[in-house]
Amino acid sequence: MHQNVGIEAMNLYGGRASLDVHKLAEYRNLEINRFENLLIDEKTVALPCEDPVSFAVNAAKPIIDALSEEEKSRIEMVVTCTESGIDFGKSISTYIHNLLNLPSNCRLFEIKQACYSGAAGLQMALNFLLSGTSPGAKALVITTDISRFALDDKNAVQEWAYSEPTSGAGAVAMLVSDKPDIFRIDPGAYGNHAFEVMDTCRPGPDTEAGDADLSLMAYLDCCNGAYTDYARRVEGADFKKSFQYLCFHTPFGGMVKGAHRHLMRKLYKTPSPEIESDFNERLMPSLAYGRRVGNTAGGGIFVALTGVIDNAPISAPLRIGIFSYGSGCCSEFFSGTVTPDGQKVLAKMNIDQALKKRHLLSMDEYEWLLSGEQTLRFGTKDANISLDNIPGVSSNGTGKNWLVLEGVSDYHREYRWV
Amino acid sequence: MSTTDILNILISEIHECVPELIDQPITAETSMTEIGINSMERAEILIATLEAMDLTVPMTSLHGPKNLGELSELLHAKKSEG
Repeated sequence: MHQNVGIEAMNLYGGRASLDVHKLAEYRNLEINRFENLLIDEKTVALPCEDPVSFAVNAAKPIIDALSEEEKSRIEMVVTCTESGIDFGKSISTYIHNLLNLPSNCRLFEIKQACYSGAAGLQMALNFLLSGTSPGAKALVITTDISRFALDDKNAVQEWAYSEPTSGAGAVAMLVSDKPDIFRIDPGAYGNHAFEVMDTCRPGPDTEAGDADLSLMAYLDCCNGAYTDYARRVEGADFKKSFQYLCFHTPFGGMVKGAHRHLMRKLYKTPSPEIESDFNERLMPSLAYGRRVGNTAGGGIFVALTGVIDNAPISAPLRIGIFSYGSGCCSEFFSGTVTPDGQKVLAKMNIDQALKKRHLLSMDEYEWLLSGEQTLRFGTKDANISLDNIPGVSSNGTGKNWLVLEGVSDYHREYRWV
Repeated sequence: MSTTDILNILISEIHECVPELIDQPITAETSMTEIGINSMERAEILIATLEAMDLTVPMTSLHGPKNLGELSELLHAKKSEG
């Protein structure tokens, strides 16, 4: 059995358009002073020519392009992790497999468990590799989620108000293999906590329902429960000392701060000033990108991981603890290590630069996008999507490596590179 | 520990967590949401109260009360279950 497994390459795609959520808060008359506690600045907004497939492919493309044909031929599994599915039967992974020209001897499937989907997908891939059934194989795991909950009717915006400032969009692609250049997993080091709860859900293709209090309570219970299970499995585990950095699922930074505080008090009865400085030191780097793309659901922990690796000082190998939570609910705490060389590998993706290049939407443009004009609805049989008049598309001067959705023909989605 | 004691702990933790409410009358009929305490602060107040009561129960088991009086009664019942 090969124990040296993890993430060989990864990339975050944070879309082409963003919104300043402080301006949104002003526009919606939300309390600005308390809003600061959310620890969020911007969010990515999906354009009508973007969907979970295009987000996923745009995240994975630079990784696949950097591989040799031989390396590419060893991709034997493509797992999509999402709560933004586009079909009840056909998985997003089938489109990705085609658009990236991947080999036909490949397992394609999709995983759903709210925001836990990404951790579940990564664990599926890791355990495939750890099983040793196909030595040298690679797996492509992609989280992809967008939020378009205001499409159903005019009242939806009002109902959505509590989560509107934080609902973002993004995809994280990860090449998982026995060459874990970026993040080497600690095999067998994990803990789970799960129970049935109706905290948030997506009962329809363009609707979201939820109870903010219950969701926060379940998140806090799971943070404690999953870490406790991790500590039961991993001899000598110490939440304060074992992990130089931590990445928690990030609906918004304030929730991460609350969970960290809860755990530090529960485990060590740590005084508040010490909790604050520990949060700033070990968790703040993980918010670097999350506070710019918003809640990316299944990809939240990996957005956090790219944030740490790109922004934290890493001068020697160090361990990162990761906590994933998905409503409904299931959670997991697991860990792995990063190195200075891994930091250099991820830096090649220029994630920060790509986020800076996004078109900053005006409130009028954002409201137009919310209205859903031109946006493809779930179950549409035929449609064409024009790139004309889409905010930011022309002014971005689109390159040749951006995949867009151009329509649907007899339910089959069609894409092109622009 | 009586229900009133628990209510007093809750009120004290509300003042600790949201000092701007120090002059606001808070009673058993008060709903934390209605006086502008957000969900993060509500969780914070609940966690601090559990600590003060030396009570360990899942947070989700405390979901449902509509006001501080109902919450005090639920916490009292949980404490009595031991």
